[in-house]
Amino acid sequence: MEFKDYYKILDVAADADSKAIKTAYRKLARKYHPDVSEHQEAEERFKEVTEAYEVLKDPEKRAQYDEYRKYGGRSSSQQDGSDRNTQFEGDFSDFFSSIFGSDPGGASYGQSQNQSYGFTSQQSFNQRGQDIETDMPIFLEDTLADASKTISYQLPHRDAQGHISNINRTLNVKIPAGVVDGERIRLKGQGGQGIGGGANGDLYLRIRLVPHPLFDVEAHSLIITVPLAPWEAALGASIEVPTLNGKIKLTIPANSQTGQRLRIKGKGLVRKQGHGDLYAVLKVVMPDKTDEQIVEQWQQLASSAAFDPRKEWRK
Amino acid sequence: MGTQYFSFQELCTVTALPSQTIIEIVDQGIVEPEGSDPETWLFNSQMLSVTKRACRLHDDLEIDWSGIALAISLLEELEQLRQENQQLRAQLNRFIAD
Repeated sequence: MEFKDYYKILDVAADADSKAIKTAYRKLARKYHPDVSEHQEAEERFKEVTEAYEVLKDPEKRAQYDEYRKYGGRSSSQQDGSDRNTQFEGDFSDFFSSIFGSDPGGASYGQSQNQSYGFTSQQSFNQRGQDIETDMPIFLEDTLADASKTISYQLPHRDAQGHISNINRTLNVKIPAGVVDGERIRLKGQGGQGIGGGANGDLYLRIRLVPHPLFDVEAHSLIITVPLAPWEAALGASIEVPTLNGKIKLTIPANSQTGQRLRIKGKGLVRKQGHGDLYAVLKVVMPDKTDEQIVEQWQQLASSAAFDPRKEWRK
Repeated sequence: MGTQYFSFQELCTVTALPSQTIIEIVDQGIVEPEGSDPETWLFNSQMLSVTKRACRLHDDLEIDWSGIALAISLLEELEQLRQENQQLRAQLNRFIAD
């Protein structure tokens, strides 16, 4: 078990007064709160900071911890730690439990309903099961019609002795057509089991649209970048453009510009009503190699076309 | 499957929050349910998740409700801007790459 230096975690001196500790805690809690922070390890850090503060704000616990710390964390722990891996009631570390026992004293961060924040503590005997939220990656193609998906998730399970462990659960779910990124789908009663006759919690699937190699998404519009040869842009062309469901013909007008957007109606994502559009954004590209003959032709073009692309600069 | 709605009572049950807290959250405009009074309020699942988030922030960071209202609206704006930034970057990369 890893020794935790609570002073270091809060970035305060070992003789810091309670006011300094409180200030340091508040600052870090705001910084790493999982509802605020985009930091990858925000949740871990927030738990650590909360745990450190839980100990250091309480003179009794702090004294106990200081004693322990003085001996380099080598003093024997007061409990043997059996079952603790599966029986945590709050959200504090094994290290915390080894010094203070497994009951964090009610102030834990584990009170909230979200799965990732741990279990709700046993406050009452009739308690609704916890809600669980899990990400559901969806391909753009799968949003065009109702899609049937299999999901696996972990569910905390409390056995007759009150021990909690995670069990794997698999469900078939219908993802309705037209879901958008970030949308949550609620599956009633598929969350954690209720305690003492309390209702089960719910499962929330948070839709995550998987980035597509060809299409970008803007609300219900799709955007595809269309590479064009210079002569296609100059003369116009009829080309094939991929959509999410098959190819379509697209007419490129003569004298098209890079960055120009052409709207293809109704070929975007499905909305609750109707369809969004597909936008083809044009991008003129040059061939990798040109042989001498081609260069000669470009030169002819350069001398015969009276075109100054930087006219604006010369005003 | 249509949008899922919760009544005021259901929201209290699902979030395990006292009704007073939810009234406070609505009064602050943190969530804006359909309907004009608690009897007729309807919350969608997006509002449910905002409510939970508001409560976590309120409890964990000891911020008062008007501060939460500000924090939530700034966080939402930040998320929107991040998403837009990501979209624009992705599009830009298709233009400048290779």
